[in-house]
Amino acid sequence: MSADKLERLLNLTALLLDTPRPLTAEQIRDQLEAYPDEQASFRRAFERDKAELRAMGIPIEVSDLTDHMPAVEGYRIPREEYALRDPGLEADELAALHLAASAVQVEGVSATAGLLKLGGLVGAGQDLGVHVAPLPADPNLPRLFAAVAGRHPVTFGYRGEPRTVDPYRLEFQRGRWYLTGYDHDREDERNFRLDRVEGEVAVTDGPRFEPPSTAVPGQARGAWELGAEPPVQARLRIDGPGARWAVQHLGPDKVVEQLGDAVVAELPVTNRAAFRSFVLSFLEHAEVLEPPELRAEVVEWLEAQA
Amino acid sequence: MSVETASARLQRLLAMVPWIAAQDGPTLDEVGQRFGISQEQLADDLAVMWLVGLPPYTPDALIDVVQEGDRVWIHFAEVFAQPQRLTPDQAVALLSAGASVLALPGADADGVLAKGVAKLAAVLGVDADQVLDVDLGGSDPEILDALRRAVREHRRVHLDYWSYGRDTRTERDVDPYLVHAEDGALYLLAHCHRAGGERRFRVDRINRAVLLDETFEPPVEAAAPARVFQADADDPRVTLRLAPEARWVLDAYPIEGRTELEGGGVEVTMAIAAEPWLARLLVNLGPHVEVVDAPDELRDAGRRAAERVLARYR
Repeated sequence: MSADKLERLLNLTALLLDTPRPLTAEQIRDQLEAYPDEQASFRRAFERDKAELRAMGIPIEVSDLTDHMPAVEGYRIPREEYALRDPGLEADELAALHLAASAVQVEGVSATAGLLKLGGLVGAGQDLGVHVAPLPADPNLPRLFAAVAGRHPVTFGYRGEPRTVDPYRLEFQRGRWYLTGYDHDREDERNFRLDRVEGEVAVTDGPRFEPPSTAVPGQARGAWELGAEPPVQARLRIDGPGARWAVQHLGPDKVVEQLGDAVVAELPVTNRAAFRSFVLSFLEHAEVLEPPELRAEVVEWLEAQA
Repeated sequence: MSVETASARLQRLLAMVPWIAAQDGPTLDEVGQRFGISQEQLADDLAVMWLVGLPPYTPDALIDVVQEGDRVWIHFAEVFAQPQRLTPDQAVALLSAGASVLALPGADADGVLAKGVAKLAAVLGVDADQVLDVDLGGSDPEILDALRRAVREHRRVHLDYWSYGRDTRTERDVDPYLVHAEDGALYLLAHCHRAGGERRFRVDRINRAVLLDETFEPPVEAAAPARVFQADADDPRVTLRLAPEARWVLDAYPIEGRTELEGGGVEVTMAIAAEPWLARLLVNLGPHVEVVDAPDELRDAGRRAAERVLARYR
C-alpha cells in the first residue's frame, strides 16, 4: 500500500469515528481532500476504501439522510461498535496469551493482529513443551463464534435438511470442531460436526436467544452418553493391557473398584450401540457385568459372529 | 522488502497509535518489538502518522508525533484513543489458543493464562468456559510433565506402554524428542531402543514413565511427521465390504482404495498394523461388515475374537 493510500484510509477512519452525524459521500470528499475530483473515479476509490475498512472489521454504518432531497446515504463509524473495551490485561497475562497463541494456531487465522490490539507481543521466546499441530480451520468457525457471543440464532444445511439452531458452544474434540446448540426443528439440544455443515452458516437477525441456565455438556462425554435412549447404569470390568488407560480415559470418579490392574467402572448409558463399541474395543479384556439386558445384548451381538 | 498486506499495516497502526499514546514515551526499540516490526518499518509508520488527523488538517488538528532521542510520544490522538475491537477470527484464534493450553493435563486453572483468557472473554461478552472448549488430548498430568521434562533435559525414559494395535503391554527405554498434539491426541516422538528406531507413542497409553539418569544427543531437527498413522508397504492389506451403517470407517481410518456399491455400501482396502486392530474393527462392526479379501491368517480374525470374548460370558 502506498503511503498516500494508507494516510487516506487513516484519515477516513478518523473522520468517520469523530463525526457526531453521518456524513454524505460529498461531505467526505470535500473534507478529506484526498480523493480525485472527478465523480466516477471518486466513487470507485471511495467504494474500494469502504470495502477495505469493512474487511478489517471496521463497522461503517450506513443510514438514509432524509434531510437531503432526495434522501442520500450517510456514513459514520459508531465508536461503541469500533472500540475495544480495555480488558485490563496485566503484562504477564498478555505474555501468557502470546505464548499460547504462538504454540497453538488455528489454520489460516492469525492471532497476531488480535494480540497487537491487546497491547502487542510481549514475553515471547518461552517454550510450552508441547508441539501443537495447527487446529484445522473451518470457514464457518469465526461466524459461529460471533453468533455464540452475540446470541444470534443461525441457520444452515445439515444432512440435507435446513436447521435453525441457537448456538451455545463450540468445541474441538478428537481432532474436529463441533457445535452444540438448541435445534429448533428437533426441539432439542444437538451436536453438529462443523465439517458436515453444508455451505455457509447464516446468522439470523431475529431476537437473541437466552443462553442455557446450566452448563452445556457438549462433546466432552463418552459416546455412550450421546444418545436419547432411556438411561441405564452399566457396570463394566476391564482388565489386561488397556485397563490403566481406561481409568485415565473414564476419569477416576467412574471407577468403583480397582484390583491390581483390573478395574470395575460404572457408566451412565443412553446410547447402547456406542457403549457396546467401547466395551468391545477391549476385546476379551472387558466384560459387561450389569444390567443383565446389556450383558445379553453384547452376547447376542457376538453370537451372531462366532 | 517484503510485501506487507494493505490491511495488515493499517491494522497495526490502529493498534500501535493508541498504545504509544497511552504510554509516557516508550523507546523505539520497545515499540518495534511489541508490534513485531523493524526500526525502518517503525520510522515509515510514524512518518505516515504525521499526516493524519481531522479536518481542516491544519497543524493543530493533526496527530502530534514527537521523537526525542530513542523515545517517542504521540499526542492529540483522542480519535484513536482505543484500539479496534477484535474481529471474530482474531477472537477465535486467541480464545482457542488459550483454551487449548488450559486444557493440557496439569495446566494451572488459576494461573495468569486463565486470568488473561477470562478477561478477554469478558470483553467479548462470553464466559470462556461455557462457549469454547478445545481438547488437545488427555493424559495423566504427571506422565505428561515427566515427558516434557525428559524432552527438555534430553533424558532417557523407561516406558510401560499399551500397544493398542497389538493389544499388548510392553516395557522399553526411549530417547524422547518431542511431545506433539495432533487430531485430538498427545504423542511422544522418540527413538525406541527396543524397536531400534524412531517410534510414536500415544501419551494416554503410557502407563508409567520413569526418567533415567542417561542423557542423549537429540537429533538436530525433530520435526513432527505429517501423519499419525503411516502404513508400511509390507503391512498386510484387507478388503472389507461395509454396509451403509459402517460408512463412518471412511472418516475414521486411512483408506487406500474404495469402491461405492449399490444401496449405499462401500468396499474399502486398508492396511492392517496388527491382528488385534482388525479384530476390534470386525467385532465392533458385526453384521455391517464382510471380509472380501485378506491374507489367510487374518480372514477369520473377527470370528476368532468374537469367540474369545464370548468365552468370558459363559
